[in-house]
Amino acid sequence: MAEMLATLNRIRHANGWIFATMLVSSVLSLIASFVLAVDALRLAADPSAELSCNINAVLSCGAVGSSWQSHLLGFPNAFLGLMAEPVVITIAVASLGGVRFPRWFMFAAQIVYAVGLVFAYWLLFQSMFVIGALCPWCLLVTVSTTLVFSTLTHVNIRDGNLYLPRRIQSAAVRFVQSNLDLMAIVIWMLALTLAIVAKYGDTLVA
Amino acid sequence: MGKQARVRAREIRHAQAIAARRTANRTRWVLAAGGFVIAGLLVAIVAVVATSGSKNDAPTANDRAAAVMPANASTGGAILIGRPEAAVKVEIYLDYMCPFCGRFEQANSADIDSLVKAGQIRVELHPLAFLDRMSNGTRYSTRTANAIATVADRAPTSLLAFNTALFGAQPAEGSTGLTDDQIAALAVQAGVPAQVASAFTDRTFEPWVAAATDAALKAGITGTPTVKINGVVLRDLYAAGAFKRAVEAVGD
Repeated sequence: MAEMLATLNRIRHANGWIFATMLVSSVLSLIASFVLAVDALRLAADPSAELSCNINAVLSCGAVGSSWQSHLLGFPNAFLGLMAEPVVITIAVASLGGVRFPRWFMFAAQIVYAVGLVFAYWLLFQSMFVIGALCPWCLLVTVSTTLVFSTLTHVNIRDGNLYLPRRIQSAAVRFVQSNLDLMAIVIWMLALTLAIVAKYGDTLVA
Repeated sequence: MGKQARVRAREIRHAQAIAARRTANRTRWVLAAGGFVIAGLLVAIVAVVATSGSKNDAPTANDRAAAVMPANASTGGAILIGRPEAAVKVEIYLDYMCPFCGRFEQANSADIDSLVKAGQIRVELHPLAFLDRMSNGTRYSTRTANAIATVADRAPTSLLAFNTALFGAQPAEGSTGLTDDQIAALAVQAGVPAQVASAFTDRTFEPWVAAATDAALKAGITGTPTVKINGVVLRDLYAAGAFKRAVEAVGD
Protein backbone atom coordinates (compact mmCIF):
# COMPACT_ATOMS: atom_id res chain seq x y z
CA MET A 1 0.00 0.00 0.00
CA ALA A 2 2.71 2.41 1.04
CA GLU A 3 4.71 1.35 -1.99
CA MET A 4 1.76 2.04 -4.30
CA LEU A 5 1.27 5.46 -2.75
CA ALA A 6 4.97 6.17 -3.15
CA THR A 7 4.82 5.18 -6.80
CA LEU A 8 1.72 7.33 -7.39
CA ASN A 9 3.45 10.20 -5.66
CA ARG A 10 6.48 9.83 -7.88
CA ILE A 11 4.32 9.75 -10.99
CA ARG A 12 2.35 12.76 -9.86
CA HIS A 13 5.45 14.88 -9.52
CA ALA A 14 7.02 13.71 -12.74
CA ASN A 15 7.26 16.03 -15.72
CA GLY A 16 5.48 13.51 -17.88
CA TRP A 17 2.37 13.50 -15.73
CA ILE A 18 2.28 17.24 -15.13
CA PHE A 19 2.71 18.27 -18.73
CA ALA A 20 0.44 15.52 -20.02
CA THR A 21 -2.31 16.84 -17.76
CA MET A 22 -1.62 20.33 -19.04
CA LEU A 23 -1.75 19.08 -22.61
CA VAL A 24 -5.03 17.19 -22.26
CA SER A 25 -6.66 20.09 -20.43
CA SER A 26 -5.60 22.70 -22.94
CA VAL A 27 -6.72 20.51 -25.86
CA LEU A 28 -10.16 20.17 -24.26
CA SER A 29 -10.24 23.91 -23.72
CA LEU A 30 -9.34 24.49 -27.36
CA ILE A 31 -12.09 22.18 -28.58
CA ALA A 32 -14.65 23.93 -26.39
CA SER A 33 -13.48 27.34 -27.60
CA PHE A 34 -13.76 26.11 -31.17
CA VAL A 35 -17.34 24.93 -30.70
CA LEU A 36 -18.31 28.19 -29.04
CA ALA A 37 -16.57 30.24 -31.73
CA VAL A 38 -18.41 28.38 -34.50
CA ASP A 39 -21.66 28.88 -32.62
CA ALA A 40 -20.95 32.60 -32.37
CA LEU A 41 -20.28 32.77 -36.11
CA ARG A 42 -23.47 30.87 -36.87
CA LEU A 43 -25.42 33.31 -34.75
CA ALA A 44 -23.79 36.28 -36.47
CA ALA A 45 -24.47 34.88 -39.93
CA ASP A 46 -28.12 34.24 -39.26
CA PRO A 47 -29.42 36.83 -36.81
CA SER A 48 -32.90 35.38 -37.06
CA ALA A 49 -31.54 32.27 -35.38
CA GLU A 50 -30.96 34.51 -32.44
CA LEU A 51 -34.51 35.79 -32.54
CA SER A 52 -36.02 32.61 -31.19
CA CYS A 53 -35.58 30.30 -28.27
CA ASN A 54 -33.65 27.42 -29.70
CA ILE A 55 -34.70 24.12 -28.25
CA ASN A 56 -31.50 22.27 -28.86
CA ALA A 57 -28.80 24.87 -28.92
CA VAL A 58 -26.14 25.18 -26.32
CA LEU A 59 -27.09 28.83 -26.02
CA SER A 60 -30.85 28.65 -25.60
CA CYS A 61 -32.74 31.86 -26.31
CA GLY A 62 -29.43 33.38 -27.24
CA ALA A 63 -29.16 34.19 -23.56
CA VAL A 64 -25.48 33.62 -23.17
CA GLY A 65 -24.49 34.14 -26.79
CA SER A 66 -25.92 37.62 -27.10
CA SER A 67 -25.03 38.78 -23.64
CA TRP A 68 -22.47 41.56 -23.34
CA GLN A 69 -20.40 39.29 -21.13
CA SER A 70 -19.82 36.94 -24.05
CA HIS A 71 -18.29 39.73 -26.10
CA LEU A 72 -16.42 41.49 -23.35
CA LEU A 73 -13.69 42.83 -25.60
CA GLY A 74 -15.93 43.43 -28.58
CA PHE A 75 -15.57 39.97 -30.12
CA PRO A 76 -16.69 36.53 -28.95
CA ASN A 77 -14.71 35.38 -25.90
CA ALA A 78 -14.19 32.03 -27.57
CA PHE A 79 -11.72 33.70 -29.93
CA LEU A 80 -9.45 34.36 -26.95
CA GLY A 81 -9.42 30.67 -26.21
CA LEU A 82 -8.55 29.92 -29.82
CA MET A 83 -5.56 32.25 -29.53
CA ALA A 84 -4.31 31.30 -26.09
CA GLU A 85 -4.71 27.54 -25.83
CA PRO A 86 -2.36 26.69 -28.72
CA VAL A 87 0.40 28.48 -26.81
CA VAL A 88 -0.26 26.31 -23.77
CA ILE A 89 -0.35 23.22 -25.97
CA THR A 90 3.01 24.15 -27.42
CA ILE A 91 4.54 24.69 -24.00
CA ALA A 92 3.19 21.33 -22.83
CA VAL A 93 4.33 19.39 -25.89
CA ALA A 94 7.77 21.01 -25.90
CA SER A 95 8.19 20.33 -22.19
CA LEU A 96 7.23 16.71 -22.72
CA GLY A 97 10.01 16.63 -25.26
CA GLY A 98 12.50 17.87 -22.68
CA VAL A 99 12.57 21.57 -23.48
CA ARG A 100 13.19 23.86 -20.49
CA PHE A 101 11.83 27.35 -20.94
CA PRO A 102 13.58 30.39 -19.46
CA ARG A 103 12.48 31.55 -16.05
CA TRP A 104 11.06 34.86 -17.29
CA PHE A 105 9.08 32.99 -19.95
CA MET A 106 7.38 30.71 -17.45
CA PHE A 107 6.78 33.61 -15.09
CA ALA A 108 5.07 35.58 -17.89
CA ALA A 109 3.01 32.51 -18.80
CA GLN A 110 1.89 32.23 -15.17
CA ILE A 111 0.80 35.89 -15.08
CA VAL A 112 -1.09 35.75 -18.37
CA TYR A 113 -2.78 32.50 -17.52
CA ALA A 114 -3.75 33.84 -14.09
CA VAL A 115 -5.60 36.65 -15.85
CA GLY A 116 -7.29 34.03 -18.00
CA LEU A 117 -8.30 32.06 -14.92
CA VAL A 118 -9.86 35.12 -13.28
CA PHE A 119 -11.73 35.87 -16.51
CA ALA A 120 -13.01 32.28 -16.76
CA TYR A 121 -14.37 32.35 -13.23
CA TRP A 122 -15.88 35.79 -13.66
CA LEU A 123 -17.73 34.45 -16.71
CA LEU A 124 -18.90 31.43 -14.75
CA PHE A 125 -20.23 33.68 -12.01
CA GLN A 126 -21.99 35.90 -14.54
CA SER A 127 -23.44 32.88 -16.28
CA MET A 128 -24.76 31.32 -13.10
CA PHE A 129 -26.01 34.33 -11.18
CA VAL A 130 -26.58 37.17 -13.63
CA ILE A 131 -27.52 35.65 -16.99
CA GLY A 132 -29.07 32.60 -15.38
CA ALA A 133 -28.13 30.21 -18.15
CA LEU A 134 -25.84 27.21 -17.98
CA CYS A 135 -23.50 26.77 -20.90
CA PRO A 136 -21.95 23.28 -20.79
CA TRP A 137 -19.08 24.11 -23.11
CA CYS A 138 -18.28 27.21 -21.07
CA LEU A 139 -18.20 25.01 -18.00
CA LEU A 140 -15.69 22.73 -19.72
CA VAL A 141 -13.47 25.73 -20.37
CA THR A 142 -13.66 26.71 -16.70
CA VAL A 143 -12.67 23.23 -15.55
CA SER A 144 -9.83 22.77 -18.01
CA THR A 145 -8.53 26.30 -17.38
CA THR A 146 -8.39 25.45 -13.68
CA LEU A 147 -6.45 22.26 -14.43
CA VAL A 148 -3.98 24.00 -16.72
CA PHE A 149 -3.44 26.73 -14.14
CA SER A 150 -2.82 24.21 -11.37
CA THR A 151 -0.28 22.24 -13.40
CA LEU A 152 1.46 25.41 -14.50
CA THR A 153 1.65 26.61 -10.90
CA HIS A 154 2.95 23.23 -9.82
CA VAL A 155 5.78 23.37 -12.33
CA ASN A 156 6.62 26.99 -11.62
CA ILE A 157 6.79 26.45 -7.89
CA ARG A 158 8.87 23.33 -8.27
CA ASP A 159 11.31 25.05 -10.62
CA GLY A 160 11.40 28.34 -8.73
CA ASN A 161 10.19 30.36 -11.69
CA LEU A 162 8.04 32.78 -9.79
CA TYR A 163 10.71 35.02 -8.23
CA LEU A 164 9.20 34.45 -4.82
CA PRO A 165 10.96 35.56 -1.61
CA ARG A 166 12.96 32.66 -0.23
CA ARG A 167 10.73 31.78 2.73
CA ILE A 168 7.57 31.83 0.63
CA GLN A 169 9.31 29.80 -2.07
CA SER A 170 10.35 27.06 0.35
CA ALA A 171 6.90 27.01 1.94
CA ALA A 172 5.36 26.73 -1.50
CA VAL A 173 7.71 23.90 -2.44
CA ARG A 174 6.79 22.01 0.72
CA PHE A 175 3.10 22.62 -0.03
CA VAL A 176 3.49 21.02 -3.42
CA GLN A 177 5.79 18.23 -2.30
CA SER A 178 3.26 17.07 0.26
CA ASN A 179 0.53 16.99 -2.39
CA LEU A 180 -1.52 19.61 -0.57
CA ASP A 181 -1.97 21.42 -3.87
CA LEU A 182 -3.52 18.27 -5.34
CA MET A 183 -5.90 18.05 -2.42
CA ALA A 184 -6.77 21.73 -2.80
CA ILE A 185 -7.60 21.20 -6.48
CA VAL A 186 -9.74 18.15 -5.73
CA ILE A 187 -11.65 20.04 -3.03
CA TRP A 188 -12.06 23.01 -5.35
CA MET A 189 -13.42 20.84 -8.19
CA LEU A 190 -15.85 19.07 -5.87
CA ALA A 191 -17.03 22.39 -4.45
CA LEU A 192 -17.60 23.64 -8.00
CA THR A 193 -19.52 20.47 -8.87
CA LEU A 194 -21.66 20.90 -5.76
CA ALA A 195 -22.45 24.50 -6.68
CA ILE A 196 -23.39 23.56 -10.25
CA VAL A 197 -25.49 20.61 -9.15
CA ALA A 198 -27.22 22.61 -6.42
CA LYS A 199 -28.17 25.37 -8.83
CA TYR A 200 -28.94 23.33 -11.91
CA GLY A 201 -29.69 19.90 -10.51
CA ASP A 202 -33.34 20.13 -11.48
CA THR A 203 -32.43 20.87 -15.05
CA LEU A 204 -29.71 18.27 -15.36
CA VAL A 205 -31.58 15.42 -13.71
CA ALA A 206 -35.06 16.10 -15.09
CA MET B 1 36.45 16.41 14.22
CA GLY B 2 36.61 16.78 18.03
CA LYS B 3 34.26 14.88 20.34
CA GLN B 4 32.39 18.12 21.14
CA ALA B 5 31.78 18.82 17.48
CA ARG B 6 30.48 15.26 16.94
CA VAL B 7 28.07 15.64 19.85
CA ARG B 8 26.94 19.00 18.51
CA ALA B 9 26.45 17.52 15.08
CA ARG B 10 24.39 14.66 16.52
CA GLU B 11 22.28 17.09 18.56
CA ILE B 12 21.58 19.18 15.49
CA ARG B 13 20.63 16.12 13.47
CA HIS B 14 18.38 15.00 16.33
CA ALA B 15 16.65 18.40 16.47
CA GLN B 16 16.21 18.39 12.74
CA ALA B 17 14.70 14.92 12.83
CA ILE B 18 12.19 16.01 15.47
CA ALA B 19 11.28 19.09 13.46
CA ALA B 20 10.89 17.01 10.32
CA ARG B 21 8.67 14.50 12.13
CA ARG B 22 6.58 17.35 13.49
CA THR B 23 6.14 18.82 10.01
CA ALA B 24 5.29 15.39 8.63
CA ASN B 25 2.69 14.92 11.38
CA ARG B 26 1.17 18.32 10.68
CA THR B 27 1.01 17.50 6.99
CA ARG B 28 -0.65 14.19 7.77
CA TRP B 29 -3.30 15.99 9.84
CA VAL B 30 -3.92 18.47 7.05
CA LEU B 31 -4.26 15.66 4.52
CA ALA B 32 -6.65 13.82 6.83
CA ALA B 33 -8.76 16.95 7.30
CA GLY B 34 -8.73 17.44 3.56
CA GLY B 35 -9.86 13.87 3.14
CA PHE B 36 -12.83 14.51 5.40
CA VAL B 37 -13.74 17.64 3.46
CA ILE B 38 -13.55 15.70 0.20
CA ALA B 39 -15.71 12.92 1.60
CA GLY B 40 -18.22 15.49 2.86
CA LEU B 41 -18.40 17.20 -0.52
CA LEU B 42 -18.94 13.88 -2.28
CA VAL B 43 -21.79 13.03 0.08
CA ALA B 44 -23.31 16.48 -0.47
CA ILE B 45 -23.09 16.14 -4.25
CA VAL B 46 -24.75 12.74 -4.21
CA ALA B 47 -27.45 14.01 -1.87
CA VAL B 48 -28.24 17.04 -4.04
CA VAL B 49 -28.38 14.98 -7.23
CA ALA B 50 -30.56 12.35 -5.60
CA THR B 51 -33.09 14.88 -4.37
CA SER B 52 -33.15 17.26 -7.32
CA GLY B 53 -35.13 15.10 -9.73
CA SER B 54 -37.96 14.47 -7.28
CA LYS B 55 -38.30 18.14 -6.44
CA ASN B 56 -39.52 18.63 -9.96
CA ASP B 57 -42.10 15.88 -9.95
CA ALA B 58 -42.18 16.02 -13.72
CA PRO B 59 -44.75 13.75 -15.38
CA THR B 60 -43.36 10.31 -16.08
CA ALA B 61 -43.71 8.44 -19.32
CA ASN B 62 -46.63 6.53 -17.85
CA ASP B 63 -48.33 9.75 -16.88
CA ARG B 64 -47.95 11.03 -20.40
CA ALA B 65 -49.49 7.92 -21.89
CA ALA B 66 -52.55 8.38 -19.71
CA ALA B 67 -52.60 12.16 -20.21
CA VAL B 68 -55.91 13.88 -19.78
CA MET B 69 -56.62 15.97 -22.84
CA PRO B 70 -58.41 19.27 -22.41
CA ALA B 71 -61.56 20.00 -24.37
CA ASN B 72 -61.01 22.01 -27.52
CA ALA B 73 -57.66 20.38 -28.03
CA SER B 74 -56.16 18.07 -30.60
CA THR B 75 -54.24 14.89 -29.96
CA GLY B 76 -51.26 16.52 -31.62
CA GLY B 77 -50.88 18.74 -28.60
CA ALA B 78 -52.65 21.84 -29.82
CA ILE B 79 -55.41 23.94 -28.36
CA LEU B 80 -57.97 24.84 -31.01
CA ILE B 81 -59.24 28.37 -31.11
CA GLY B 82 -61.70 29.88 -33.54
CA ARG B 83 -64.27 28.52 -35.96
CA PRO B 84 -63.29 25.12 -37.42
CA GLU B 85 -64.51 26.17 -40.85
CA ALA B 86 -62.20 29.20 -41.01
CA ALA B 87 -60.14 29.15 -44.19
CA VAL B 88 -56.70 29.86 -42.82
CA LYS B 89 -55.03 27.61 -40.27
CA VAL B 90 -52.48 29.31 -38.04
CA GLU B 91 -50.21 27.12 -35.91
CA ILE B 92 -48.40 28.85 -33.09
CA TYR B 93 -45.74 27.02 -31.09
CA LEU B 94 -44.75 28.97 -28.02
CA ASP B 95 -43.35 28.72 -24.52
CA TYR B 96 -44.56 31.21 -21.93
CA MET B 97 -41.03 31.82 -20.69
CA CYS B 98 -39.74 32.60 -24.17
CA PRO B 99 -39.02 36.33 -24.49
CA PHE B 100 -39.33 36.20 -28.28
CA CYS B 101 -42.79 34.71 -27.98
CA GLY B 102 -43.61 37.73 -25.85
CA ARG B 103 -42.44 40.01 -28.64
CA PHE B 104 -44.56 38.13 -31.17
CA GLU B 105 -47.60 38.44 -28.95
CA GLN B 106 -47.04 42.14 -28.33
CA ALA B 107 -46.83 42.80 -32.05
CA ASN B 108 -49.71 40.60 -33.12
CA SER B 109 -52.16 39.65 -30.36
CA ALA B 110 -54.67 42.33 -31.36
CA ASP B 111 -54.59 41.15 -34.97
CA ILE B 112 -54.90 37.48 -33.96
CA ASP B 113 -57.89 38.38 -31.80
CA SER B 114 -59.73 40.27 -34.53
CA LEU B 115 -58.97 37.66 -37.20
CA VAL B 116 -60.30 34.89 -34.98
CA LYS B 117 -63.45 36.87 -34.16
CA ALA B 118 -64.00 37.60 -37.85
CA GLY B 119 -63.79 33.89 -38.58
CA GLN B 120 -60.87 34.34 -40.96
CA ILE B 121 -58.42 32.17 -39.08
CA ARG B 122 -58.47 29.21 -36.75
CA VAL B 123 -55.55 28.99 -34.38
CA GLU B 124 -53.80 25.83 -33.19
CA LEU B 125 -51.92 26.94 -30.13
CA HIS B 126 -49.13 24.62 -29.01
CA PRO B 127 -48.06 25.57 -25.49
CA LEU B 128 -44.65 24.01 -24.99
CA ALA B 129 -42.68 23.58 -21.79
CA PHE B 130 -39.08 23.20 -22.80
CA LEU B 131 -37.90 26.32 -20.96
CA ASP B 132 -38.68 24.98 -17.50
CA ARG B 133 -34.98 25.09 -16.75
CA MET B 134 -35.06 28.85 -17.21
CA SER B 135 -37.31 29.38 -14.22
CA ASN B 136 -35.05 28.30 -11.38
CA GLY B 137 -36.80 25.03 -10.77
CA THR B 138 -40.30 26.50 -10.47
CA ARG B 139 -41.40 24.96 -13.79
CA TYR B 140 -43.04 28.18 -14.90
CA SER B 141 -43.46 27.00 -18.50
CA THR B 142 -45.28 23.83 -17.46
CA ARG B 143 -47.48 25.61 -14.92
CA THR B 144 -48.64 28.27 -17.36
CA ALA B 145 -49.17 25.78 -20.16
CA ASN B 146 -51.28 23.73 -17.75
CA ALA B 147 -53.25 26.86 -16.82
CA ILE B 148 -53.91 27.62 -20.49
CA ALA B 149 -55.04 24.05 -21.05
CA THR B 150 -57.38 24.30 -18.05
CA VAL B 151 -58.90 27.47 -19.44
CA ALA B 152 -59.27 25.83 -22.84
CA ASP B 153 -61.06 23.00 -21.11
CA ARG B 154 -63.48 25.01 -18.98
CA ALA B 155 -63.56 28.66 -20.06
CA PRO B 156 -62.45 28.73 -23.69
CA THR B 157 -63.99 32.12 -24.44
CA SER B 158 -61.40 33.82 -22.21
CA LEU B 159 -58.48 31.87 -23.65
CA LEU B 160 -56.99 34.47 -25.96
CA ALA B 161 -57.39 37.22 -23.36
CA PHE B 162 -55.62 35.06 -20.79
CA ASN B 163 -52.86 34.26 -23.27
CA THR B 164 -52.32 37.97 -23.93
CA ALA B 165 -52.35 38.74 -20.20
CA LEU B 166 -49.70 36.12 -19.52
CA PHE B 167 -47.37 37.62 -22.08
CA GLY B 168 -48.16 41.10 -20.84
CA ALA B 169 -46.82 40.09 -17.44
CA GLN B 170 -44.10 37.81 -18.76
CA PRO B 171 -41.31 37.29 -16.21
CA ALA B 172 -37.67 37.60 -17.12
CA GLU B 173 -35.81 34.55 -18.33
CA GLY B 174 -33.92 32.91 -15.54
CA SER B 175 -36.15 34.31 -12.84
CA THR B 176 -38.53 32.26 -10.72
CA GLY B 177 -41.44 33.20 -12.95
CA LEU B 178 -44.90 34.09 -11.71
CA THR B 179 -46.39 32.29 -8.73
CA ASP B 180 -49.50 30.13 -9.04
CA ASP B 181 -51.48 32.87 -7.33
CA GLN B 182 -50.26 35.48 -9.78
CA ILE B 183 -51.17 33.26 -12.73
CA ALA B 184 -54.65 32.68 -11.30
CA ALA B 185 -55.10 36.42 -10.72
CA LEU B 186 -54.18 37.17 -14.34
CA ALA B 187 -56.72 34.57 -15.47
CA VAL B 188 -59.51 36.09 -13.41
CA GLN B 189 -58.62 39.52 -14.74
CA ALA B 190 -58.93 38.14 -18.25
CA GLY B 191 -62.45 36.92 -17.57
CA VAL B 192 -61.81 33.38 -16.40
CA PRO B 193 -64.22 32.30 -13.63
CA ALA B 194 -62.58 32.08 -10.21
CA GLN B 195 -63.31 28.39 -9.69
CA VAL B 196 -61.61 27.56 -12.99
CA ALA B 197 -58.59 29.64 -12.01
CA SER B 198 -58.35 27.89 -8.66
CA ALA B 199 -58.17 24.55 -10.49
CA PHE B 200 -54.81 25.44 -12.05
CA THR B 201 -52.93 23.99 -9.11
CA ASP B 202 -54.59 20.61 -9.68
CA ARG B 203 -52.01 20.24 -12.47
CA THR B 204 -54.52 18.16 -14.42
CA PHE B 205 -53.06 18.79 -17.82
CA GLU B 206 -49.36 18.78 -17.07
CA PRO B 207 -48.85 15.30 -18.55
CA TRP B 208 -50.65 16.47 -21.68
CA VAL B 209 -48.34 19.49 -21.87
CA ALA B 210 -45.30 17.22 -21.54
CA ALA B 211 -46.65 14.95 -24.28
CA ALA B 212 -47.39 18.00 -26.45
CA THR B 213 -43.84 19.26 -25.99
CA ASP B 214 -42.45 15.87 -27.01
CA ALA B 215 -44.75 15.79 -30.05
CA ALA B 216 -43.58 19.24 -31.15
CA LEU B 217 -39.94 18.24 -30.89
CA LYS B 218 -40.62 15.10 -32.89
CA ALA B 219 -42.48 17.15 -35.49
CA GLY B 220 -39.27 19.04 -36.09
CA ILE B 221 -39.94 22.25 -34.22
CA THR B 222 -36.57 23.65 -33.26
CA GLY B 223 -37.40 26.94 -31.65
CA THR B 224 -40.08 29.25 -30.38
CA PRO B 225 -41.96 31.10 -31.50
CA THR B 226 -42.70 29.06 -34.59
CA VAL B 227 -45.69 30.32 -36.52
CA LYS B 228 -47.09 28.52 -39.55
CA ILE B 229 -49.82 29.87 -41.79
CA ASN B 230 -51.47 26.98 -43.65
CA GLY B 231 -48.30 25.01 -43.09
CA VAL B 232 -45.89 27.68 -44.29
CA VAL B 233 -43.49 29.03 -41.70
CA LEU B 234 -43.83 32.77 -41.15
CA ARG B 235 -40.49 34.50 -40.93
CA ASP B 236 -41.50 38.09 -40.26
CA LEU B 237 -42.70 37.68 -36.72
CA TYR B 238 -42.07 40.94 -34.98
CA ALA B 239 -42.90 43.72 -37.41
CA ALA B 240 -46.32 45.20 -36.77
CA GLY B 241 -48.90 44.02 -39.25
CA ALA B 242 -46.66 41.49 -40.98
CA PHE B 243 -48.61 38.57 -39.57
CA LYS B 244 -51.93 40.04 -40.62
CA ARG B 245 -50.67 40.75 -44.14
CA ALA B 246 -49.39 37.19 -44.43
CA VAL B 247 -52.78 35.81 -43.41
CA GLU B 248 -54.62 38.02 -45.87
CA ALA B 249 -52.19 37.09 -48.62
CA VAL B 250 -53.18 33.43 -48.34
CA GLY B 251 -55.45 32.19 -51.06
CA ASP B 252 -54.76 35.13 -53.35
